[in-house]
Amino acid sequence: MSERLGWAALAIAAAIVPLLTSNTYYLYVVISAGLLTIVTAGLNVLVGFTGQTSLGHAGLYAFGAYTAALCATRAGLSEWAAVAAAIVVTSVVGAAVAAAALRVSGPYLAMVTIAFGLIVEGVLIEWGSVTGGPGGIFNIPKPSLRVHYWTVMLAAALALWLTANLRRSAWGRACLAVKSSEVAAESLGLSAYYVRIAAFTVSAAFAGAAGALFTFLNGYISPDSFTLQTSILFLLALLFGGLGRIAGPVAGSVALTILPEMLTKLLDYRLILYGSLLLLSIYWLPEGVVGALSRGRRARVVPQPTIAPQPTAAPYPALSPEGRGILLRASGVSLSFGGIVALADVALTVEHRGIHAVIGPNGAGKTSLLNVLSGFYAPNAGAIALGGRSIAGLTPYGIARRGIARTFQTAQVFGGLSVRDNVAVGVAGPRLGTVWAALAGTPACRARESAIRSRAQALLQAMGLGDVGDDAAEALAAGLRRKLEIARALATLPVLLMLDEPAAGLSPAEIAALDLQLTALREQGGPAVILVEHHMDLVMAVSDRITVLDYGRTIADGAPDEVRRDPAVIEAYLGAAT
Amino acid sequence: MYGLVALGYHITWATSRTMNFSQGHTVMLGAVVAYAVFVVLGWPFPLALFVTLVALACFGALVERVAVRPFFLRASPAWLLATIAVGIIAENVAQLTFGKDARAFPSPLMRKPIMVGSAGFYPQELLVPVVGLILMGLVQLFYHRTAYGKQLKAVAWNPEAAGLMGINIPRAVMASYALSALLAGVAGVLLAPLLNVAPQMGTIIGLKAFAVAIIGGLTSAPGIIVAGLGYGLVESFTAGYVSTRAREIVGFGLVILVLIVRPWGLLGEKPSRRV
Repeated sequence: MSERLGWAALAIAAAIVPLLTSNTYYLYVVISAGLLTIVTAGLNVLVGFTGQTSLGHAGLYAFGAYTAALCATRAGLSEWAAVAAAIVVTSVVGAAVAAAALRVSGPYLAMVTIAFGLIVEGVLIEWGSVTGGPGGIFNIPKPSLRVHYWTVMLAAALALWLTANLRRSAWGRACLAVKSSEVAAESLGLSAYYVRIAAFTVSAAFAGAAGALFTFLNGYISPDSFTLQTSILFLLALLFGGLGRIAGPVAGSVALTILPEMLTKLLDYRLILYGSLLLLSIYWLPEGVVGALSRGRRARVVPQPTIAPQPTAAPYPALSPEGRGILLRASGVSLSFGGIVALADVALTVEHRGIHAVIGPNGAGKTSLLNVLSGFYAPNAGAIALGGRSIAGLTPYGIARRGIARTFQTAQVFGGLSVRDNVAVGVAGPRLGTVWAALAGTPACRARESAIRSRAQALLQAMGLGDVGDDAAEALAAGLRRKLEIARALATLPVLLMLDEPAAGLSPAEIAALDLQLTALREQGGPAVILVEHHMDLVMAVSDRITVLDYGRTIADGAPDEVRRDPAVIEAYLGAAT
Repeated sequence: MYGLVALGYHITWATSRTMNFSQGHTVMLGAVVAYAVFVVLGWPFPLALFVTLVALACFGALVERVAVRPFFLRASPAWLLATIAVGIIAENVAQLTFGKDARAFPSPLMRKPIMVGSAGFYPQELLVPVVGLILMGLVQLFYHRTAYGKQLKAVAWNPEAAGLMGINIPRAVMASYALSALLAGVAGVLLAPLLNVAPQMGTIIGLKAFAVAIIGGLTSAPGIIVAGLGYGLVESFTAGYVSTRAREIVGFGLVILVLIVRPWGLLGEKPSRRV
């Protein structure tokens, strides 16, 4: 409620500025803040949601500005057509840059984006016949400042509304999931690369729109406005305002537009000011001004709309009748790291609906085997087929889309998302719809959202997590995290579920509950399970079949009773009987 | 000549998987401090060099303490931005004390060019790659042959395990930053006569050095030196045959190309994915 009041107050403040003053200087300052808001709102999608840093957005801003300027001066297009053209061009450029640059991440990405920005700046100066060289482009027909004021304010409001829609959608969750754990996101069928490209493209489109509007503010543009300093300013405004927060871009943009204007006398100290602000926000305002302001309020319990689980939604659809016999067949799988052999000629056959345990002493290669089966490691040799089709060499998300879900030895829940949203990432999987629909929040998109949320809630209920759906996932205790991870994996409706030490760190009571859940899963016609586990009681109680690994080799394979009596297994676990 | 600066990225990266994004500004500081003590105060060169290097090592340690240590191990780009922040503050301080204008740095090796056919070059220009090669050799020796160097590498691979083995991680990372800044200081002193000294010189040097580090491979000192030489050659060819401005466009285009084809660099180690 108070959040809505804040937005309303902001809107009113923006609306009365032109009524109160006829001084064009003030209008100009507010317009500048509005433009910065648009850019940083887009940047927020990339940096705040997806966790990738760009220091080249001035280059995209320049693309928008120059496209609009050329459309207006050479092609004689109207302002609106020019802005639209700018958005299209920067989206395309952004997608192309992203496709190349996002093959790397972190500091590498920062460097590539810096390089992109500098190349754009260089081209603007060099390619004089089109860009006007260092002098830029003049005499662009521009609207009156007052009209432009309203245009920019509406555009800024629109930008914030779009990012808020995106944040609430399957796309928003996918971005945060990729930011929090790329590995876990890929295990649910999401391609981290693809999600990042989409986020970069959205942020490019926003930067392009702002650049075009910037062109019509002054009526002239020159390369001076699009330097590395500009890119740093964009990022600084976002960080200062609040990374990942919808209101962050507004707060940061207003502060960073007004502050330097107030301190024009201190022009020589401008860089010190920026640098100190940057350090300050990183040190003491990790969530920005907006985060710091709302931190006090967060303790208050926010009543959430209760979500009724769909009574008919069985967590697992009944498998088709032909889903019998052999599901997964791996043979001759070998994997080595440098000279160390992790897996040597391992064979594994898993039947539909069964619970297949893989056991062995520490370092036997159990987790390596799971990583090969789920595509995180490429085996040096061997064939793997799921339902008769080879999956060897596929990406992790490709394998996840074929129906293999997994959990991790150290539970990888998505921080920054609620428990329910964690499961919702699994429910949606790679089916995110178009990113434009998510931005606009179309009715179809909203309908899909509520279906996803109620299915997520049903899964939480089934796993006994129904009451904590609104809690932050990273706040869960270890035992609940493991449950959440299983719920999330089941949400993808897998045909094969791989659990990596699900009982590690659980209390005896929790292990007993896990035992019941696994058995129930089999009774209800759920997916086949590969269980990597050290708790022998659990393994012996639930497994239909057991494969034993030692030093990367299969030393036994059979029903629990056979394996228990196998001399090789006893030797591996207890040492040779001499 | 960028190879020398780029080695600084390699050193901190090899220890902490972080780096000083203001390495270029550190080079600038090296040049400015050297100018102050050698030209303005008129101290003898060896003393001036010594003072500069000590000052720079301290600056490197400071950068680590202020901008890296609070964020080390945290999976966030905070250290990246924090080092940029320190860099722009350093640039502004240099502007305020040194002035914005570029000044020439005298060197006996800049007086008479050596003529090879019609092309001439100064002995100073020869000195840069030679020193670069020597320092690269020392860095390699340090990391591969000394116990302390191996400790630093262990920190990069798994800080937690290294800490349990009794390695003082904050000190190890600080040492690598000090060493990295010291190299930047050497580069600053060597480049000052060639480029003239100005507070604004840092950004572009840092970026080009970073480009070189990426092309050569952040994990490989020889790769960086080779890439540094290659990059310099490509630059002078473009500047000679196309235009000075195209030099940067071609250079950074090259980086993007390398990142697409071989993101870990020419001689770098291909990172293995850890699940």
